[in-house]
Amino acid sequence: METAAIQTYGLTRRFGALTAVEGVTLSVAPGQFFGFLGPNGAGKSTTIKMLTGLLEPTAGTIDILGQPFTAGALELKRQIGVVPEGMALMGRLTAPEYLRFVGRMYGLDKATTNQRTDELLEFMQLADQGRKLVTDFSHGMQKKLAMAAAVIHGPKVLFLDEPFEGVDAIAAGMLKTMLTGMISRGATIFLTTHVLEIVERLCSHVAIISQGRLVANGSLEELRAGVASTVPGTEQTQRLTLEEIFLSIVGADGQQESAQELTWL
Amino acid sequence: MAVSNGAGGMFGAEARAQYGALARLRWHMFGNGMRSKKGALELGARAFTFVFYAVGGLGCGVGAGAFAYLMVSGEKWAYLPILFWAVFLAWQGLPIMLASFQEQFDLGILLRFPIRFGSYFLLYVVFGLLDISTILGGLCCLGLLVGTTVARPELFGWTALGLVVFAAFNILLVRAIFAWIDRWLAQRKTREILGAVFMVLILSVQLLNPALHRHRQTSTNAAQKEDQAEQYRRAKAEFQTRYGPWLEAANTVQGWLPPGLAAQAVRQAAGHGSGLDDGAGEQWGSLESLGVLGLYVLGAGAVLGVRLKAEYRGESLGVAPKRAKLVAGQDKKGQEKAGLGVAGQSKARVGGGLLDGAGPIGAVIEKELRTLLRTLPLLYAIGAPLLLVLVFSSAFIRNGPAQHTFKLALPLCMVYAQLGFTRLFYNNLGAEGAGIQLYFLSPTPFRTVMLAKNLFHSAMFAVTIVIAGTLAMLRLGVPEAEVLAATGAWLVFSLPANLAAGNVFSLTLPYRVNPGRITRQGGSQASALGALLVQAVVMGLGAAVFGLGWYLEKIWVAVPLFLVMAAGAVVAWMRVLRNADGMANQRRDTLIGTLMKEQ
Repeated sequence: METAAIQTYGLTRRFGALTAVEGVTLSVAPGQFFGFLGPNGAGKSTTIKMLTGLLEPTAGTIDILGQPFTAGALELKRQIGVVPEGMALMGRLTAPEYLRFVGRMYGLDKATTNQRTDELLEFMQLADQGRKLVTDFSHGMQKKLAMAAAVIHGPKVLFLDEPFEGVDAIAAGMLKTMLTGMISRGATIFLTTHVLEIVERLCSHVAIISQGRLVANGSLEELRAGVASTVPGTEQTQRLTLEEIFLSIVGADGQQESAQELTWL
Repeated sequence: MAVSNGAGGMFGAEARAQYGALARLRWHMFGNGMRSKKGALELGARAFTFVFYAVGGLGCGVGAGAFAYLMVSGEKWAYLPILFWAVFLAWQGLPIMLASFQEQFDLGILLRFPIRFGSYFLLYVVFGLLDISTILGGLCCLGLLVGTTVARPELFGWTALGLVVFAAFNILLVRAIFAWIDRWLAQRKTREILGAVFMVLILSVQLLNPALHRHRQTSTNAAQKEDQAEQYRRAKAEFQTRYGPWLEAANTVQGWLPPGLAAQAVRQAAGHGSGLDDGAGEQWGSLESLGVLGLYVLGAGAVLGVRLKAEYRGESLGVAPKRAKLVAGQDKKGQEKAGLGVAGQSKARVGGGLLDGAGPIGAVIEKELRTLLRTLPLLYAIGAPLLLVLVFSSAFIRNGPAQHTFKLALPLCMVYAQLGFTRLFYNNLGAEGAGIQLYFLSPTPFRTVMLAKNLFHSAMFAVTIVIAGTLAMLRLGVPEAEVLAATGAWLVFSLPANLAAGNVFSLTLPYRVNPGRITRQGGSQASALGALLVQAVVMGLGAAVFGLGWYLEKIWVAVPLFLVMAAGAVVAWMRVLRNADGMANQRRDTLIGTLMKEQ
């Protein structure tokens, strides 16, 4: 049996009385492009923080590449790349300085760091912004830089928290190409985003979290079949989009009805 | 249909509802600002700071009142304008300087609501009433009123009227100035430039002190003192002859300016200054002064109105110059690209790291250096005490030349120089911002990060101490060898002691340092008070050991004692470093949340 790239058992995180994530058990196979979806406040970012060592789980375990993952698992961290929610940028450095810093923190040698910094800045169309401080970058440019920093050490597992937010269409297209290239070379990508079209296009497997609990997990076809079986008539009439699957699973029907009641709008 | 038709003008129902909403917004902002996740210690420290500032503000008011009482009761009317000018300058100058250190609440956001120009104008002015300078100015005016009334109760009415008009002028003027510059200050670079100018001004003012002391120090005996007094009298007479007419003219001019007019109104109400001998004539003079002051109020209001009207129509001063600059920059880049490819540029830029071969420790040190050089508050924190050592050292040589200085002046100067490192030592993660996440994501242990930071700060500390020591010795003369050795030994003790305590504070009570501000960092008061306490203990131990040496008349005794204490401090520092990963991981949620939090 192949070792999972990411495996969690009963992952739970509580903040005082609030349970943000409860009993999440999931498995992501190596080379899989995995979409992790959920409404606002469902627990996506909390889960990704626990998976990357930014937040300690209250309960449950995490295995990455077959090894237990804790905050002190330094060797394992070399295999992981992350674009976290806050992007982890350092505002008072320029983009080349920041990438060089990140490369060295991941233990790359000077020549490799410099070469990859050059290539990544070129690829992200940031090469002509070399003298500008990161704090003066636009949000989209910061996202691109965060993405460059996440991949500079060639990670085997990549965690992306809303990587396309604020990124222009051209750059988004390039990023998608880069990510699919990484998948074809055997990397595993764990992606959270609110843009369902991107997940539908890129991801082979999807999990949906709602109110801290995992409510769906499987390939797109499995989710489609699951929803179709619960909604009468859908299996014959149409092929469900991910948006329809998502809305069906997280139970947004009631909210849609509520919205229709706002007759004064 | 529940939408208001907007009728009723700037005091109509809709406008009143908008004022109420904004008042509630301010109240909620104030209330939410008091919330703290850092616990009772932080809340207590904040309360202490609030009381401290409140006492300071009240002190200014009481001072103004006392000055006014002395001037009015002593009939020293010529000096009364000085008080009004001081209040005026503080009122106008303080907010401009403070604005360079704090984010501005942009009232322009109100323009997306259906708000009338009159209401916008009024809200803009009313918002100004909550400025720290207006509160301070108001307290000074109140003090002035009380002082004048106690001295001459019959002046209460005229003084109150004059102060109300004077305050109205100040409020409108300061808001008018703000209306022109607040968008400009909203840009990071301009805010930092103004901060740097302020820093230079503060240091320049501090350096006046030793410059003035220089002249006092030469008077060592009665004959010299008499000679100096004679020289002073001659210089004063010469000054009056040369500049007297200019001063007279300046005094006349200031009498037509708002602070002078306000002072004149009070003076004339008291029966001085108009030249008319009956009471009605004096009161008419007061009215005249207040009338002219009223014209100034209208003028300030008009200036504010013109600016706000432009803003109301959608103009933004802050954005336009930046756009123009960007376009110019793009043109330049385009020209450069014609001669040199972008890849070539980036390659040229990327090379030349400072500590390329040193791995994560070198990377952190290089990053710290780059960040420090671009972070004004940290540079200020280090630079200011260094220069102030010059000021401080003058305290020891007032009574004679260098050879008569206080024996332990050098260690005291070193203590002063060390104070600048408090923020670097005790909040060494504060400037990381969102970058703190990287330390938890990367395979570099946290203790390596802390070690690199400690090494960098130690190097900075060593350089600063050498410079401060050299400056102090140039002013005070080289002390005896035993004092020099004991001072060195104390530094060897205090550095690891502060680093050990600083690492603990940095991991347990962190606060975000905003790189664009010098003051108002919204930091942890508990951390500040705790750091002060630890520093006091370290200095107290130093003072006790030096005191023992002084008492035994063998200062050298301090050297072995300090070295033993230094060994203990080094052990403590290493222990803290060893536990740094555990401490950081245990508090990573708080660390990340606090340091990433927008202020």
